[in-house]
Amino acid sequence: MRRLGLLVRPRFSLVALVGTWAVFSHSAARAYEPATTHAGLTERAVEASRLHQVLSHLGRPLGLLEPLHISLDLLDQDERRALQARLDALDPAGGYRPGTDGVAGAGQWVVAGAVLAKTPPERGANHFLDPANGKGLHDGPGLSGFAHSLRLLFDGGTSVRGLVAGTAFTLEGKSALNWIWSPGNDLGIPVLLDNWERAVSLAGPRAREAALVRALLALGGVMAVLEDAGQPAFVRNDFRGAFLQRDGGSAYEQFVAAHYGRSALPAAATLVSRPDIASFFASVDGKGLANRTQRRFFSEGTIPADVSIERDTKVADVVRRARESLEYSSPTLSSLVLRPAQSQHYLALEGHRVLAYENTGTQVRFFLDDAVFADMARTLLPEIAGYAAGLLNHLLRARLEMAVAGTSVTIRLAGEAKEGGAVRVFVEDGSGQRRELPGTGAILSPGGEVVVSKPAGARKLAAVLRGRDAGGPFVAAGEVTLP
Amino acid sequence: MLESAGDRCKAAYYPIEGERDVHSRDGHDTHPFIVQQLISTIPKSVKSAHGGFLSNLAVAVWLTALVPSCGPVVENAPFSARPDSLRSGDLLGPFDGMVVDDETDRPLAGAVVAGSWAFVRGIGLEGPAAALEAVTETGADGRYRLKIPADLPRGEGVRLRRFTLMVYRRGYVAWRSDGIFPTGEPRGDFAQQGNRVRLEKWQASMSHYRHLVFLGGGPAIRAAAAWEVQPAGLELDGASPTATSERPTETARVGSASALNISSLLSEDEVRGVTGYAGKFEVGKLADRATSDVYDSRHFKALDKPETYDVGLRVWAIGTEAAEAQFRKLIGDLPSAVATEEMGDASLRARGGDVTGFAFLLREKGVVMQLSCGLAQCPEPSMILRLAKLAESHLPEVKLPSPESTGLVPSSGSSLVPGGKP
Repeated sequence: MRRLGLLVRPRFSLVALVGTWAVFSHSAARAYEPATTHAGLTERAVEASRLHQVLSHLGRPLGLLEPLHISLDLLDQDERRALQARLDALDPAGGYRPGTDGVAGAGQWVVAGAVLAKTPPERGANHFLDPANGKGLHDGPGLSGFAHSLRLLFDGGTSVRGLVAGTAFTLEGKSALNWIWSPGNDLGIPVLLDNWERAVSLAGPRAREAALVRALLALGGVMAVLEDAGQPAFVRNDFRGAFLQRDGGSAYEQFVAAHYGRSALPAAATLVSRPDIASFFASVDGKGLANRTQRRFFSEGTIPADVSIERDTKVADVVRRARESLEYSSPTLSSLVLRPAQSQHYLALEGHRVLAYENTGTQVRFFLDDAVFADMARTLLPEIAGYAAGLLNHLLRARLEMAVAGTSVTIRLAGEAKEGGAVRVFVEDGSGQRRELPGTGAILSPGGEVVVSKPAGARKLAAVLRGRDAGGPFVAAGEVTLP
Repeated sequence: MLESAGDRCKAAYYPIEGERDVHSRDGHDTHPFIVQQLISTIPKSVKSAHGGFLSNLAVAVWLTALVPSCGPVVENAPFSARPDSLRSGDLLGPFDGMVVDDETDRPLAGAVVAGSWAFVRGIGLEGPAAALEAVTETGADGRYRLKIPADLPRGEGVRLRRFTLMVYRRGYVAWRSDGIFPTGEPRGDFAQQGNRVRLEKWQASMSHYRHLVFLGGGPAIRAAAAWEVQPAGLELDGASPTATSERPTETARVGSASALNISSLLSEDEVRGVTGYAGKFEVGKLADRATSDVYDSRHFKALDKPETYDVGLRVWAIGTEAAEAQFRKLIGDLPSAVATEEMGDASLRARGGDVTGFAFLLREKGVVMQLSCGLAQCPEPSMILRLAKLAESHLPEVKLPSPESTGLVPSSGSSLVPGGKP
């Protein structure tokens, strides 16, 4: 600030600094960075999933690599403008931004959806989930709306302009589980299912392709929300501590972005199978990703408070006071090594370092450092990709198998759906136009079959079924080229 | 004093030379010099006012109003200004360097070089705000240069977070400034200026799918790498990278050392990958015409299956004029032949009995390729097209005759039957 002092008098600089501080005081906080970490995690998950086979089964022979056109002109004006602006913000270096012709590969659309889930970034406020109580991001009782914004302003998380315009982030959000079902989320499960069905049922080939793109974007959006359940701050309601305490935002997420980028992220661990959609996030059996993350790792704002010590302070007392300061019951600490002074130690759980601490002589200071972040990332990232791939498979768990024999086509509900539903059959002509076969709508059960006559002049038959079982709603689809 | 909005913005987003080095690499201590720069943009009339609180308030309002109209804050670059310098580079650029072959150290012309600037914004949470891309191609000297982009995005809180350089040339491993293929581990040798991009030769054991994912890039890069989509798709279908890139050499039946050999154009695994056929093939030559310096064929004969499971491939490498004539002849000779524009400079589809055919012309190379596939093997029209694209993608691996040795007349006996019988 030396030059500033030369330019202005002290009283001037005081007010000017307040003004500029208000303007510039946004913390450059980072959730799992969308353009690198979310993109890379989603790529790993997509690779590990069966999406390639599902797309091939739907007449997209190149599967993940199938070029698909979004046809924004088919959207209404507001939706088109908003989506175009968000797509234009994507970094071409990631490979998931569509070209000026609106074309990208099927797998790239999924990755784009994961990045768009946090574009604009305020959407990320809806990615929080405390698995213990199902709540999303909240900033404690007694403060709401403007009060949150004001508090955030002084924490460095917003600006005067944002405050006045009402666009300031208020430390409140829907829980991740509500958000993925929210009608206000254009990348949620309802949008995914609706468009997956429309990708089969719409008349024109362009419209069907555009619907498939919208479905893939929503698929990526849902995966991004789940991926954040593998970030301790997002499952420990820790916005303030993780993102606002230090100027650079979440040190853990910066560590991940810097060390892994997009392309060095590890492959998915074992694909996770769960009974329903919600249980991928959180469940009473403790096997949801949010449960696992919350109980095994600290976030930057939920570590034990520093404990003041004297020469005769016992280790057990330090441990007790540190435990008492914890907002969450797990992870916890049962013992500490405090000798010699000035040395740094780690608390290890299940083979990985989860907390660093040191005895400074006057206090025991707790913190997270790069060694902890390295162990967290090594453990969490493959697991996140495994959960995301599992969720993707779960959402696309049903399919319709269609076989031609003579003049009839047999349709069978295959995959992992436990319940059936009404199947709609469509006939496609040589120009790609589809119409629904009259009289279809028969109820098809898992393993059951429906037989339809092969219409004259048809090039393809396609079928779609919307159902619901204990695992949640699903769409099963299939198509066959007629000889 | 800077008066125009453009100048004010320039002052705001251009870092102060010399102070750059002291800033940490995480890029979040840029505020002090931004404040300094903004103070320098305050009109003298405001700065010299002696109105106490009101004038101070006016200054604060001026600063508040100024920022949204300015360009982005530029974070510190994670790369050096030059290869031999410890000074941090500038994310804005300009960027220049040379692309060379890693083995020979010789400059590589025709490499596609793309630079991408990624901007972020966010209050509390952060996400993409805007992106810019510039694309160029290396000249004969292998050099490239990317200027500082014009029309930088504006808006409150917009920050330039990242610059990524991508270089692609067919036959080589793609190069990115932020990582190394195939592990993606961070690259430490990228420099803003005087950068040297050493491209390694592509190895047959490498995965095209992993390569495409690693490569990323915008439309220009994707277009240059489009040929990799087919072999990458086969990998996803279960074929190994080796199967899609490297095939055993087949001995030419004609003893001439200069005989055309197309054995690398299509493999059994590639056919299976496209059609989903699980059975075995006996691979040989088609019987209708002998291999010569300008003609060769492959016959994938499905074992224990009728001819409707067979696949045939014929290639004429006969120079531009003769190739055009040969293509015209095929249109005239093959049953139900219809000209299409699906591949190459011209293409056709044909259908005779239970066999479908596809042929295309590569005028500049003087090559005509014709594929035949039984309908039991290729029930989908797209399958034969995929086979054709695969074959074309491997064409650079085939030694084609020199133009002087071609210029032949079109061959006779055009056949659609995979087995080659007229």
